[in-house]
Amino acid sequence: MSGYRRFCDGMSRRDMLRVGTAGLFGSSISLPHLLAAQAHASTATGSASAKSLIVVFLEGGLSTIDTWDMKPDAPAEFRGEFNPISTSVPGVQICEHLPRLAQQMDKFALVRSFGHSDSGHGSADHFMLTGYRPLSGFNASLKPNNQKPAYGAVLSRQLGPAGSVPPYVCLPQLHRSGGSSYLGTAHSPFVIAADPNSPQFEVPDLMPPLEVAPSRLESRQQVLQAVNRFAHKIEVQANRDANAFDTFQENAFNLMTSQATKHAFDINREPDSLRDEYGRHSLGQSCLMARRLVEAGVRCVMVDHINWDTHFHNFRILKDDLLPKLDSAISSLFRDLHYRGMLDSTLVLVTGEFGRTPKINKEAGRDHWGPSTTIAIGGGGVQGGTIVGASDEHAAKPATAPFEPADLAATLYHSFGIDPNTEFLTAEGRPIPLVPGEGRVMRELF
Amino acid sequence: MVVYLPLLPYFPFGKPSMRPASMRIRLAGSRFATIVLMTAFGVALPCGPRLLMASNAEPVTSRSGQWNFQNDIEPILGKFGCNSSACHGKAEGQNGFQLTVFGFDPQADFFQIAKDGFGHRIAAVAPEKSLLLLKATSAIAHGGGARLTRDQPEYIALRDWIAAGAPWGDADDPQIVSIDVLPEQSQLSIHSSLPLRVEANWSDGRRTDVTRLALFQSNRPSFAKVSEEGVVTAGSLPGVAAVMASYLGQVDLFQAIIPRGDVTGGHSTQPAKNESLGDDNLDRLIERRLALLNIQSSPAASDATFIRRAYLDIIGTLPTAAEAREHLADQRPDRRARLVDQLLQRPEYADYWALKWSDLLRVNRQALGHQQAYEYYRWIRQSFAQNKPLDELARNIVTAKGPVKEVPEAHFYHAVSQPDQMASTVSQVFLGVRIECAQCHHHPYDRWGQKDYFGMQAFFTQVSFQSSAIGEAIVSNGTATTTHPRTGAEIFAHALSQPLPEQSPQGDRRELFADWLTSPDNDWFARNLANRLWAHFMGRGLVEPVDDFRSTNPPSNPELLAALASALIESRFDQHELIRIITASAAYQRSGDVNATNQDDEWNYSRYPFKRMEAEVLLDAVSQVTGIWDKFEGVAHGTRAVQLWDSNVSHPFLVLFGRPVRATVCSCERVGQPTVSQVLHLLNSPELQKKLSHQQGYLASLVLGTQDDVALLQELYLTLYCRLPETEEQQFGSDYLSQAPNRRQAAEDLVWGMMNSLEFAFNH
Repeated sequence: MSGYRRFCDGMSRRDMLRVGTAGLFGSSISLPHLLAAQAHASTATGSASAKSLIVVFLEGGLSTIDTWDMKPDAPAEFRGEFNPISTSVPGVQICEHLPRLAQQMDKFALVRSFGHSDSGHGSADHFMLTGYRPLSGFNASLKPNNQKPAYGAVLSRQLGPAGSVPPYVCLPQLHRSGGSSYLGTAHSPFVIAADPNSPQFEVPDLMPPLEVAPSRLESRQQVLQAVNRFAHKIEVQANRDANAFDTFQENAFNLMTSQATKHAFDINREPDSLRDEYGRHSLGQSCLMARRLVEAGVRCVMVDHINWDTHFHNFRILKDDLLPKLDSAISSLFRDLHYRGMLDSTLVLVTGEFGRTPKINKEAGRDHWGPSTTIAIGGGGVQGGTIVGASDEHAAKPATAPFEPADLAATLYHSFGIDPNTEFLTAEGRPIPLVPGEGRVMRELF
Repeated sequence: MVVYLPLLPYFPFGKPSMRPASMRIRLAGSRFATIVLMTAFGVALPCGPRLLMASNAEPVTSRSGQWNFQNDIEPILGKFGCNSSACHGKAEGQNGFQLTVFGFDPQADFFQIAKDGFGHRIAAVAPEKSLLLLKATSAIAHGGGARLTRDQPEYIALRDWIAAGAPWGDADDPQIVSIDVLPEQSQLSIHSSLPLRVEANWSDGRRTDVTRLALFQSNRPSFAKVSEEGVVTAGSLPGVAAVMASYLGQVDLFQAIIPRGDVTGGHSTQPAKNESLGDDNLDRLIERRLALLNIQSSPAASDATFIRRAYLDIIGTLPTAAEAREHLADQRPDRRARLVDQLLQRPEYADYWALKWSDLLRVNRQALGHQQAYEYYRWIRQSFAQNKPLDELARNIVTAKGPVKEVPEAHFYHAVSQPDQMASTVSQVFLGVRIECAQCHHHPYDRWGQKDYFGMQAFFTQVSFQSSAIGEAIVSNGTATTTHPRTGAEIFAHALSQPLPEQSPQGDRRELFADWLTSPDNDWFARNLANRLWAHFMGRGLVEPVDDFRSTNPPSNPELLAALASALIESRFDQHELIRIITASAAYQRSGDVNATNQDDEWNYSRYPFKRMEAEVLLDAVSQVTGIWDKFEGVAHGTRAVQLWDSNVSHPFLVLFGRPVRATVCSCERVGQPTVSQVLHLLNSPELQKKLSHQQGYLASLVLGTQDDVALLQELYLTLYCRLPETEEQQFGSDYLSQAPNRRQAAEDLVWGMMNSLEFAFNH
């Protein structure tokens, strides 16, 4: 049932009885519950096809009018320098500089009537990555800056990992709005602050330094056990931060000693030909890593790729640098997931924080444009090749029923079979629903 | 009665697939469920007629014969949710009908109801046909459902008021002065209930029962919920909750104390008022609360624990092994107080508190420039080195004027360069109140409105930087005005909760603000500073977050907060003195041991918490115990992390452990929570291993110089834990050292293990 009482940020008062207490809040914390993979999803609604999520975030704002949603008939000052090409889906055209993606068009969908009213960096990112617009007092410089949890944190909370891997991973850096907010540190992302494309890539601090031989690590573990007199004691369990530290330490050893985890993080196990196919760059190798991690049981991987904020020389940068990377990385990802039979269970979202201005500026660039953008989404039960909605002739605003981040949130959770009426309690005991009240599932995708 | 069912193209409160024809049926179903749920939720939102019995309650209105819109009608709009921030009270109103949230502007509400659109919402000749009433009873489709039924006294009051011509009232009608919630405090057994009564005090001396129309809200619904009628029901957990009652803009609190087990004493308890704070009174206030909760406090911590704790809390530095030995050997009865006195005089004291205040005063090299930020920092540090009274510190900052070279604290106004930022920063830092929400509309959770926000801003609109013969100078003069964005009226500078002055104050308005801020009669400043200090030493403030004082976030122990604030004022804002008082208390000197009663107590100080060391403190600690210090960019060799005035100096450890960015003054910027990455870093980082194994490191020389295993272990334990090892620890350590093929590496392993233990990384 839907409640009708809302706060000024659009949330509604809802069913208190369905509240799940966030991991570290509530009166008693028990050790086994802290990081356990607990299925908290209540009544399964939706397809529940998706089991894992990959978010490829194009930080800066991909110019969707030049890629997914071209306007070849618009006047020159709008249409830009690129031409559309046909794809593997009849009637659907995308940019000529995404030829491999054009061939994989049948694997994913585009929502061309997407948009929102936030054209500012920082707040728009938060909006896209949580479904919630940030409120007064938002400090975009914090890392993380979340007032509401990112999708990965929610999935970590509701579904946990499948295996001894962390449930939620961000790479090659943490996006500022990738945090867990009131869901607590148990669901904050495991950050791999390293570029998988680097020859020396390894997950920082995952293994002891070279000079510490494995046998020495074992002795050290014994030492830690002997001297760590507070470990698992009731004094520690009665203190949230200490308890979290204690549990994380236990978990850290699991991470360090688990073969599965070590393999999952070891990108060198991938054949060179596949690494070449994804592309030998940060975006390509991060997407490959994402597939690898999902295969190992990670519930959500967020890949944060930067430099999409093309205010200057939009076309040159896209054509020479960014689009070839996007093309190889994402087309390979879809092809690879499909090939391994993982596409139905893996939802992939590719988007920036907003679109870019229809009118080209003086520096041959485009500026921020929230009101109209296109998101690419595939897998997890989404019907490949679907085009949902359309924008107007200049891609200035949606021409059909508009969709916005709350709807994206609703859709994501729908495909995971998570009840959108689920609520979490903040530290002040205020219930916040999973999806902002007005979010509707984009049913045309399924 | 004409029933009017428009087809709503968009039903704002639910999924658009709902059809208007089925709306009333659907509303009926959802309304009932919503009532149940809202009651269960414990935030008593007015929802429908069924639960509000028109039983033996006093007459709805408080009028003495005449209608008065504000006194008689506004409370109804509040109680039944009409002006809530979810509905017509939100900034843009709802469906063209806009009320002010909390009824903060009765004239605007009166206009909307009685005058707007030629008064189409009311019909004096046929009051029951008024749009207002038709909507309120859902006789016409109403997004908010049926708020009233026709037999309710409030419906009758509205009807009669409309019939009387919807009068505004007279200027000399009685005004509300305050409200009292009765009782003020009570023990409640688990699952038991207690009805509250709310009485209003009027300017004509009358006192009326207004329980029926008061709004109730619990700040901890998981401990105690409150119904619309003001019945408090304790949950299943022992603890404390505050229930706020509000009526006509007045607020009062009830404290529910839910003890473990059965209630031992009587129901109502009288909290202590106006207790002056001697050393034992602070503890008495805490003990009294614990007694009401049936919670026993933990015993005193050992000397070793106290020594380490005091060092970390007062100077952000670990004691060295030699210092630890020295203090442990001290057997004088006043040794703990002496230690505190010593620490207050150490140079590291100024370093540490300058670090904390640099966060608050936004010493940001990128924003201010290298030299300027450094000088700003040095001024702050000097203030703490000389133990400048905190009111003087605040005054210096707020009223900084003159050449910046001579008055480096003026850089504050570079860090926050716009009047609105100045107002909200000063408010957050010195008053502990976040007023930004009130910039655009009435604050949704507190009583501040735009008038208050712009009143604060008006103090700072005169500030500007100008060139002078001695370089840049800050001045504050002129007649800059501030206008209310909505009404256009001029707002003269006035502080929060102060009345609007009749004219603009003369001269540098900041001086007036500083006078108000630091006046001994001003609770805000002292409570905020006292709370911040208490939070630092005790791990949790009486108000949390520490910069979020508001009526819906009351202190967990109001008497204690008041007593601490008084102590600060009495000491003339001497931080040393308040530190002495706090650290001398039994509460501060408690161990973190858990007993049968206090495992779940996080709010009442029955046991000492575990606090993760701040990023800079932890890095210094690691450097100190290994003897290998990092060289930071842009500062001299030998600068410790707590001395870093630039919060942006590149160092992954500091970022990882939650160093603030100083983009705002929010206490949330510094993150004390652990993460998996932090834990992995301590376990596996190559940098830490290098420090451990360094040839010039402390460990290398210690191992070389100490052949005796017992002595070696003692030294290690004193260095890292500030105590001597227990017998089993000694045994384990000696065995480990003697059995290892490489004694030096074995010692490294021991230190590695100790560094990764909770006892090291946490201040306990």
